[in-house]
Amino acid sequence: MKTPFFQRYLLIASIFLVIGIAIIIQMVRIQHSEAAAALLKQADMYGVETRTIYPERGSIFDRQGHLLAGNETVYEVGVDLAQVTDPDTIAATVSSLLGVDYIQARDAAKRPYVEGKTVYAVLADFATSAQVEQLTNLQKDYADQALHTRNGEKAPSLAGLVFSPHLKRSYPEKELASNVVGFYKYLDREGGRGFFGVEEKYNDLLSGTPQRVRIPYDPNKAREIPQIPPGASLILTIDREIQAMTERVLDHALKTTGAVNGTIIIEDPNTGELLAIATTPRMDLNQYWKFGEIFPNPTPFDRTVGTTYEPGSVFKILTMASALDNGAVTPDTNFVDTGTFEIGGAYIHNWDGGAWGPQDMTGCLRHSLNVCLAWTASKLGPDNFYKYIQAFGIGHQTGVDLAGEVSYPIRIPGDGQWILMDLGTNSFGQGIAVTPIEMVMAISAVANNDGKMMGPHVLKAMIDNGRQYNTTPQVVGTPIKAETAKTLTGMLTRSLEEESSDALVPGYRVAGKTGTAEIPGPGGYESNLTNASFAGWGPIDDPRFLVYIWLEKPESSIWGSVVAAPVFSETVKNLVVLMDIPPDNVRQTLHGQ
Amino acid sequence: MMNNRIVQAYRQAPWRTQLQWTGLFLLVLVFVASVTSIYLNVSASAAASGREIQRMGQQSEDLERSIADLRTQLAMLTSAANMEKRAEAMNFKPAQTDQTMYVTIPGYGGREPAIKAPLPGPNPVVAQPLIKSSYTESLSDWLFQGFFRPLEKQVQP
Repeated sequence: MKTPFFQRYLLIASIFLVIGIAIIIQMVRIQHSEAAAALLKQADMYGVETRTIYPERGSIFDRQGHLLAGNETVYEVGVDLAQVTDPDTIAATVSSLLGVDYIQARDAAKRPYVEGKTVYAVLADFATSAQVEQLTNLQKDYADQALHTRNGEKAPSLAGLVFSPHLKRSYPEKELASNVVGFYKYLDREGGRGFFGVEEKYNDLLSGTPQRVRIPYDPNKAREIPQIPPGASLILTIDREIQAMTERVLDHALKTTGAVNGTIIIEDPNTGELLAIATTPRMDLNQYWKFGEIFPNPTPFDRTVGTTYEPGSVFKILTMASALDNGAVTPDTNFVDTGTFEIGGAYIHNWDGGAWGPQDMTGCLRHSLNVCLAWTASKLGPDNFYKYIQAFGIGHQTGVDLAGEVSYPIRIPGDGQWILMDLGTNSFGQGIAVTPIEMVMAISAVANNDGKMMGPHVLKAMIDNGRQYNTTPQVVGTPIKAETAKTLTGMLTRSLEEESSDALVPGYRVAGKTGTAEIPGPGGYESNLTNASFAGWGPIDDPRFLVYIWLEKPESSIWGSVVAAPVFSETVKNLVVLMDIPPDNVRQTLHGQ
Repeated sequence: MMNNRIVQAYRQAPWRTQLQWTGLFLLVLVFVASVTSIYLNVSASAAASGREIQRMGQQSEDLERSIADLRTQLAMLTSAANMEKRAEAMNFKPAQTDQTMYVTIPGYGGREPAIKAPLPGPNPVVAQPLIKSSYTESLSDWLFQGFFRPLEKQVQP
């Protein structure tokens, strides 16, 4: 039985039903209207930000973990045009604090705001944290002042000034090891890349992979925010303390000898790890734009890999190593030096033009006799001589992981340019051009007493995705036998000791060889200008270091034995302390315990 | 007659039928309201979490930038040139070979190159859990963890 109110209930329910259906129809209509489509399009535009993310550039550390290249926070200073109320004050402030051109800043701040098109203008970039702090404080002060102004009174305002932080490459050690590290052109934020040294050689690793990504603002899509890993970091074989010491010794040597440039390389001959590379000129890497001023064309950024020169008598190490290894001579082979040796129609003379009479091979090295070494090379024969020289890597790049390595090809029998006289001059390091790093690599085969030539390198380890990957030393050749290396090391040790060389280091037995090379010019060799070199290593029974020195055009003396040998001694005296190498007698006692 | 009486005896009273319909309607209403409120709650929580993730992502970026900046500032303060100046100011001088005494320290192999990150090895890096276990554990896990934890501690060496 229906209640008397049933009809009324039915009527009310129907009205609500109609209203409900009308609401649903209206909802569907709005959802599919043109306005809704425009709104959705707008939402899409505002809902996602598309930008290119440049990963943090990897850091560069020395072998002990000291930072050589890192990143510091700087700010882009801009204006949110919709918020700007006082462009003149903004322009005046950034002009005085950041050194920006006032007119340009004012024009930028006065640009009319156009929604979706002109919303932001950059005023300055690479502002420091201190500068931004000053600006922020001023901005707050002006905002406070505005609260206390009377009606109609206009207060200065920095409203609309915004700061966006980003990272900038930074070199905390400034000039130290600058030739090894290289630099990154950070002012070019879009197309910046590394130049020279490790920064260039490992640019791809350090920079990571920039990615263009879509970042949703929708919180429900937070998981879609891409994670861009930073670039790989590098740990170098360079030791900061040894590097600083080496640069100090080199700078002092340049001052006292008057040499125009210099280079000192310190390597572990057992592994090929370069512990220090000091050369000139150097530059503060934070001010890389001064590059052209400091390195006027054609000055190489790193002379150790970027310049070839005639090394002179240090090359005799390789000539003697080849002859000993081949059996052409032994340490006791006698040679009567008459002061001249004819080869290929040319006459070879000694450095002093004198005749040194009967000599064994140690004597030939001790007195650095060109005549004796030319005779030795001729006894070895051109084919064998150049076979050995090529096995030592001369004439080829070493593959050292530093940008800008060069090499100068050697003339060899059969190539049409070689003449027999070359054998004579090449034997004592003239008529042949090498980079210091080539010499270091070649001599490492002798210095490590193993005959194994180690690939020189500066990369100790790489840190990528939270893992450290250490590099392993590379044997790039075995040009001589271990026995030959030991014999020659002994000969060069005795030759220094018998000569009472300035290269000697009290308490430590070292082996080494001086070099004095004339410099070729347009009109032939310039006899008053030389390249003075020294290559030495030690301790001879447990080699830990190989030191190569090159002083260019010294003025105090032209002889390597006078200018370069003391630099070796000074370097090693400091080096043994930094490397914790006890004097020979202490070391042998400690080993015996 | 008899049949009518039986039907009448078993027929629901009108007020009971109305009550049943009202109850059913309310049940459906409560169910829909519950589902709606749960949905709204979960959606709001998800959105809030999303915002939190976005905020923390930004914070993470800021912190990484700050770490890089502080590391560089520290390196500037402790650069070789600065440390040398500070050492000189404190009257330190570089040690010479004749001023150095060497002693054997068992187990010390000299200065080791820097280790800045774990070396690759057979054991994979244990990834830090992104979500706390309290968000993933079941009710029984939560209930029984108190019972088993003391036992786990006991078996540990």
